[in-house]
Amino acid sequence: MTRYRKQDPELTRRKFINAAMGGAAAVGTLSLVSALGSAKPVFRLTPALAPPMAGDVLVHADPSRYGEPVKVSDLGLQLVRAWPQGKDKNGDPVIRDQDPTSVLAIFKYPAGQVQEPTDLNATIDGQIVAYGDRCMHAGCNVGNNDQQPGLMNCPCHSGQYDPKLGGKVIGGPPPAPLPQLPIKMDGDKIVATGFFLSRPYGYTKEEDWKAYTEQVKEVLG
Amino acid sequence: MNQWLDERLHISRLNDKFLRKAFPVHHSFFLGEITLFSLIVLIITGILLALSYEPSNSLVTNSFDPGTSAKPNLIPAAYHSALKINAMPFGDMLRRLHHWMANIMIAAAVIHMMRIYFTGAFKKPREINWWIGMLLLIFAGLTAVTGYILPYDNYAYQTVGVVYAITKSVPWVGDWAAQAAFAGQFPGAGIIPRIYGYHIMLLPGILLALTGAHMLIMIKQKHTQPQYAKRLAYKKIVGVPLITQQTPIMLLLALLFTGIVMLFAAFIPVHPVEVFGPPSSTPIPNIKPDWYLLWVFGALAIIPGFDLELLGGSISAEFVGAMVFPGIVIGAMFAVPMLDRSKENLYYAENPTNHPVRLAAGTAFMGFMLALSLAGYKPDLIEAGVLTTANANAILWILVFVVPALTYFATIGIVRLIRALREADERDAAVHSGQLGHSAADD
Repeated sequence: MTRYRKQDPELTRRKFINAAMGGAAAVGTLSLVSALGSAKPVFRLTPALAPPMAGDVLVHADPSRYGEPVKVSDLGLQLVRAWPQGKDKNGDPVIRDQDPTSVLAIFKYPAGQVQEPTDLNATIDGQIVAYGDRCMHAGCNVGNNDQQPGLMNCPCHSGQYDPKLGGKVIGGPPPAPLPQLPIKMDGDKIVATGFFLSRPYGYTKEEDWKAYTEQVKEVLG
Repeated sequence: MNQWLDERLHISRLNDKFLRKAFPVHHSFFLGEITLFSLIVLIITGILLALSYEPSNSLVTNSFDPGTSAKPNLIPAAYHSALKINAMPFGDMLRRLHHWMANIMIAAAVIHMMRIYFTGAFKKPREINWWIGMLLLIFAGLTAVTGYILPYDNYAYQTVGVVYAITKSVPWVGDWAAQAAFAGQFPGAGIIPRIYGYHIMLLPGILLALTGAHMLIMIKQKHTQPQYAKRLAYKKIVGVPLITQQTPIMLLLALLFTGIVMLFAAFIPVHPVEVFGPPSSTPIPNIKPDWYLLWVFGALAIIPGFDLELLGGSISAEFVGAMVFPGIVIGAMFAVPMLDRSKENLYYAENPTNHPVRLAAGTAFMGFMLALSLAGYKPDLIEAGVLTTANANAILWILVFVVPALTYFATIGIVRLIRALREADERDAAVHSGQLGHSAADD
């Protein structure tokens, strides 16, 4: 036996192949990840994609009356679903119905029923309130509670809300109240006076929503 | 011609290796075949549907109800093409056939898995095939869900909204993942082409590849042998060969099965797209997923809302209910072969009553799933006056725990009764034949 064994050339060849395969796998994974990155399209804010904002007229979302301004006489304990209608760059009216987060539910209650934590200054005479109509749980459209008029039920996972109490969660899994939209009367039209007062569905933190509204103001304001 | 082919393709080797594969003679072994036939019919009907389907959510004028030129009736092209398919001769039936086959494929797969579980056929050496089977179940579920979205009616729209929300609920990466998976923020302009790609290319490809692997491994490892094979010829493969005995049985079963499902499709309407209408902001009352996802839906309905901040990520009830909890359930199903520590290979299907704990755990699991599925009917139960808003959650939570416990102990009790009766029978037989009783524990 010699003291120094000759190195087996097979081993180095194997090492080379292993390194080459490892390298190929790493490069392949990296390129796959970058290819996957292209799956997410860029978001471009357009007036139709914007959230409800100050000056928007609330118009019916129901297909039979789509686009007609909501009147006080339409309202009651059964919710009226509405879209905000703003203006585009040329000043032409545009219904902001491309982002489902913008859909609204409007109620009218007898005087005195709407209470804190509803922002009463953001209601019309403490009687007419508007909320974002996407459930804070999974973003389904929230409907009427058929047993108790004036309350809201989400058909998806049984979330329940009380619009008289600031859209508070009164049952089911939603983690946060519905966002209230500040409104006022302008002639016979109902008009938004600002953004949602709290985060709507799709924003996990209040800061994210605040940041987004700043961005919206910058782009469209 | 045989010789000509054999010289080129070595048919005789193929024959020895694959075509003579022995199939056990027992009706419970047909469940996997039914799953396979459903997949084949799904692919054929899927191709036919794809020929007339338009994968686009761009708005087009509804040719059935065009509206006026000032106010045209615009609907998504995908929904419009679904209406057109319904208007084709047998078009509606084709859609129903595809729908029923999908439901039956998953049902057959679930019953097939129950057969595997209760007879211990997941044990060494067949663990890998159990895991591939689990992947098949998961991907079949995903394929079904993406298929639901394609008609792009209001039902599909509301469904995809929830699926998007579930994807988005994953902490840290959810927002990016949901946008990447669904082509932008819900409902992105390219959502239908994206889902179409998943449903007709990606997922069927995965299903076919996994099915191929599943069957190759099954041919390599052989079926577990039914108990009668042990008495007939111990440690020998007993059964009928694929060519020529099993093939006519398979064909007969496939035709009979497809025929029955066609009758379903002819007479039982499913998913009327016209009734749901095009995507809108009007919710669908008491919307529910398919029966095989109802347990997740039920869990979401009774989990109270919460939101936890953790290292900048948000852990919500949605994430726990739709991701973590099903993850645990599916993880437990994945772990089933690992619970068995035997080093021996299993050759013979086991009698479930000889493994009472496994049997009872299986029935308790089914009880658990049924109780959760019942929780999915929470709004309906409240509406019917069976439960009230105040007590619904408490009662459903109690059922979710009590039903499996009761099922477990009832199963153990019934197994004891069966074994006591069987032992009494054996004693009787021994007395009458004048011989010593022998144990037939594994019969």
